[in-house]
Amino acid sequence: MLLIRAIVRPERKDEVLAQLSEAGFNAATMVDVVGRGKQKGIKIGGMVYDEIPKILILMVIPDGEKEKVIRLIMDTARTGKEGTFGDGKIFVSPVEEAYTISKNSPGL
Amino acid sequence: MKEIMAIVRMKKTGATKKALVAAGVAGFTAIKVAGRGKLVTDPQELEKCKEKLLAMGMDEFSDAKDTENLVTSFLDGTRFFPRRLFTILAHDDDVPRIVEAITNANRTDYGIGDGVIFVLPVNDALRVRTGEAGEAAIW
Repeated sequence: MLLIRAIVRPERKDEVLAQLSEAGFNAATMVDVVGRGKQKGIKIGGMVYDEIPKILILMVIPDGEKEKVIRLIMDTARTGKEGTFGDGKIFVSPVEEAYTISKNSPGL
Repeated sequence: MKEIMAIVRMKKTGATKKALVAAGVAGFTAIKVAGRGKLVTDPQELEKCKEKLLAMGMDEFSDAKDTENLVTSFLDGTRFFPRRLFTILAHDDDVPRIVEAITNANRTDYGIGDGVIFVLPVNDALRVRTGEAGEAAIW
């Protein structure tokens, strides 16, 4: 199993989550976060904003679905034709075990 | 070293904290998150929830149709509900014990929505106060 951490624009989150649900990946957790990228934030006039609000989406998926989920998030979260700075990032980490509490059994 | 991520009901935060202390694991980090689970397609399970919610939502002021619409949209499975995400760092041997404790504290009769627990590997940990690294930094 793999943990997908996707940081996306708040205005794209509904679209991303709707697309994921449609593709059969309904289970997800989201957190409001702030962050900056290697552009060191945004400079507007004399003011530097380096805590830009984003949405962090967490989801655990079977190993085989990785490509599909990443492609889907990438295509939905990107803005403009070529993508724009601030569209976000996706990180993938391994998950060794998963338990569903209500089913009282291992597995997703 | 393992990282245990447990997503539980908001109301069960206290019970989870107590269970963790009882299991000998006092340290944790918790954040507020919004979550949804696998799409529930079992009509029986859904009917049960619907009945319960309808009974709760009706009073002399509300319109029956409005209430039903609300309950139906509530149960369509794509809505996010508030949850608490616990992050616990643990030694390898303690993982089954902690998972057991969290499971027991959080199981309810609803059958859906009690949360999930994930176990992730951790490469290294560092205690800022003393500079200890690895297993010694956990507790």
